[in-house]
Amino acid sequence: MKLLALFFLLLQAAPAAAYDRSELAEFNDLYKTGRYEEALEGYRSVLAGDPANPSAWYNAGNALFRLNRPGPAVLNYSRAFILDPRSPDIRANLDYALKQTGQQLVPETVPAALHYVYYMLSDGELKAAALICFWLACLAGAAGFLLDGSAPGRAAGRAAAVSAVMTLLALAWLGGRVTTSPFSEGGVVVKQGGARMLSGPGENFKTYASAPEGRLVRILDAGDDAYYEIGLQKEGIKGWALKSEIELLTPKRTSK
Amino acid sequence: MKKFLPLLLALLLGPAAAARANLSVTAETDRDTVSIDGNLYLTVTVSGDSHSVPEPKLPNMQNFNVYDSGRSQSISIINGRITTSVSFTYILSPRFLGVQRIPAITVFNGKEKAVAPEIQINVTKAQQAQAAPAQPAARRQTRQPAARQAAQGGAEPIFLKAEPDRRSAYPGEQINLSIKFYTSVPLSSNPQYVPPSFKNLIAEDLPPVRNGETELNGVRYAFSEIKTALFALNSGPAEIRPLTVIAQVPSQSQVDPFDPNFFQNLMAMSGAQGTSREFNTEAIKLDIKPLPAGAPADFNGAVGAYTVSASADRAEAKTGEAVNFSVTITGNGNLKAVTAPKLPELADFKVFDTMSSLDVRKEGDVISGKKTFTYILVPRTEGRRTVPPVKFAFFDPKAGAYREVRTEPVTLLVEKGAEGGKSVYFNPAAAPGPVTPSGSDIRYVKDLASAPALPRFAEGINALPAPLHLLPAGLLLLAFWLARLNRFRSANPLLFRFRRARGEADRDIDEAEALIKAGKTNEAVSVLYDSFMDYLSDKCGRKVSALTMKKATDLIKQRFPAAADRSLEEIRELWGALELRHFSPETAAAEGASDLAKKYALLLELLEKELRA
Repeated sequence: MKLLALFFLLLQAAPAAAYDRSELAEFNDLYKTGRYEEALEGYRSVLAGDPANPSAWYNAGNALFRLNRPGPAVLNYSRAFILDPRSPDIRANLDYALKQTGQQLVPETVPAALHYVYYMLSDGELKAAALICFWLACLAGAAGFLLDGSAPGRAAGRAAAVSAVMTLLALAWLGGRVTTSPFSEGGVVVKQGGARMLSGPGENFKTYASAPEGRLVRILDAGDDAYYEIGLQKEGIKGWALKSEIELLTPKRTSK
Repeated sequence: MKKFLPLLLALLLGPAAAARANLSVTAETDRDTVSIDGNLYLTVTVSGDSHSVPEPKLPNMQNFNVYDSGRSQSISIINGRITTSVSFTYILSPRFLGVQRIPAITVFNGKEKAVAPEIQINVTKAQQAQAAPAQPAARRQTRQPAARQAAQGGAEPIFLKAEPDRRSAYPGEQINLSIKFYTSVPLSSNPQYVPPSFKNLIAEDLPPVRNGETELNGVRYAFSEIKTALFALNSGPAEIRPLTVIAQVPSQSQVDPFDPNFFQNLMAMSGAQGTSREFNTEAIKLDIKPLPAGAPADFNGAVGAYTVSASADRAEAKTGEAVNFSVTITGNGNLKAVTAPKLPELADFKVFDTMSSLDVRKEGDVISGKKTFTYILVPRTEGRRTVPPVKFAFFDPKAGAYREVRTEPVTLLVEKGAEGGKSVYFNPAAAPGPVTPSGSDIRYVKDLASAPALPRFAEGINALPAPLHLLPAGLLLLAFWLARLNRFRSANPLLFRFRRARGEADRDIDEAEALIKAGKTNEAVSVLYDSFMDYLSDKCGRKVSALTMKKATDLIKQRFPAAADRSLEEIRELWGALELRHFSPETAAAEGASDLAKKYALLLELLEKELRA
């Protein structure tokens, strides 16, 4: 348990140690002087080479926000949040942008502290934590079997049991996030003026709702060539929207 | 130099920081009830974390005549934090009876705005009327004819007079302008004074308003006198332009201004009875003489009569620490125009910018007060260090000559400051106070190179090929199988010996054949003999070498009923042959040993089929 506590302590401290100045500074100078379009181009070039850079997504979100593009701004902030959910700046700007579009990061019914804890680890970190715990469980279990009957063997067996429980917890946490978080399997309406929601994947279906720009939506079905089936959790409605009007939150699935 | 850098930066940034200063303003009066013929003091105090605070902008007050009565400033520098408080005093003369309002007073420093709430003043009737409701009738009777007398005698019942106390002066020399408003008729309200404009002059009010009575050409007048101090800016002509007094003059003189119940009677009159009249003065020209030649080098234009003193806020200091060194100029004259005296060369000190504070008094119709210039000195070297006398030169208009005064030297005991010793930091905006958000916005962009270490590490883990994660599972299964096997072996040793017997025998045959090839036939036969005994022992679960050949074959027959007699016979033959060779090595030729090995191998084939568990 001590090791576990240490792991979470290091979890908080590690980001600060990793930071240094970067090529982002060059484009931040453009941002500073109000040349947001050029700064955005710079941030995108950084992201082309390093799509897992949360600062670049965050800065791009800032540039888009300044360019009065709330939808893409929410998208970029959300991607930054998915990669680095503990960053106070990312949380603040995402929340700010969401509020500009009638949403909020922390639901009213959820305590802020609980929300922070729930998003303390990113999906990737949770997955890695599950894998590490799985490795630990297997290796400790193997040691326990090989040292069968001895005191070290019994200790290894206990470590394996704890690791196995941790693995299950991490998987449960990850599973809960996938099913409940708007940032897992989600997308953002990026079309200015909002996206039409049709009753089917085609123009011959009736438009019965619209999702405003910047709205976080749930991707229910991505199988169609031109349409996503999206769901609006708050309103409890779903419909089909053009893929060109929705950007997926998971960068790997996006076409840049 | 590095030591002074924060201080220097702070001083350079001072003006910018001042805009963010914590500004506040309060307004209070010395009373909340005043009689219509009285005055009240309004004190507006502006405070801020800057060495200069804005002057309050008084709102337009038609219900009061307002006169500037002076200012008092306090400035403190503690641990580099500057706080300034300036009290501006005004004398308010009410014009109407009843509850009158002093509107909210606002100060604005370009960035920050502070507001003092409005104040309500109850203006009552004249105290004379209140205190003496039963004035002697005789007095009333003697005064009643005054108005009638003025009207009958052809004299102006109301007039305005402005007169300076001198028509020629030096630049900066005080000239008092007296403005008297005479009336022999009752007015509906106190008159409104509209100050004049000036040419080549600046003015300072000299409150309070003096009220009195006088007799001119046999007519009794009530008068109000307002005094203003004037200071010429430059030599040459100067002008007091016409000033105005607006009075509500009743159409019918029903109330005598000298009646003790004047204000009661006045209030009894309706507003419709009065008409508004303006009274103006003529322009007054003044001659401003040039200052005489021969001004000392330190003369900066100060005119008046002054003394100067100097002090430090401490007697002991350390190198690198800031000391507040103040030079105070006290005396009569236009202190607002007095500039900071130049400090002598101070090799032992680093001198930073100055701040000034001003206290102005207007007692006896003379502008006086003191102006304090605070210099920030930072000792460079340790030891007893002296700030030499500071000279201040001024022109004394009464004597018509220049004067030079000087301060006493100020000595400081300077000790060596610690490494990285405390330096003064001017941080005017650092005062604690409530933070009031005025808006919101997104946070600024980041300069961080890449993702934090933990996400990168997680990304690396997740990027490993999926089959790799089967490895620990495989290891776990393998370990599990090995553990099971080990436990089974421990629980069934004879069974394992039974199963291993053939394999070990084959290895022994290979070893024996190698020995035969090496020409070591005796050792080869020994290996074969021991191997055969072990094989039979492993199969039977008992040590066969301790038995006789007959008992051993009986045991085999008993243990393995399916064993054929021929096989048992083969066993006896090989056993006998091996014993013979083993215990009579001289008879063991190489060819014979090889035959025994082959025979043993063939027998093993046979026995493996018949000796089954």
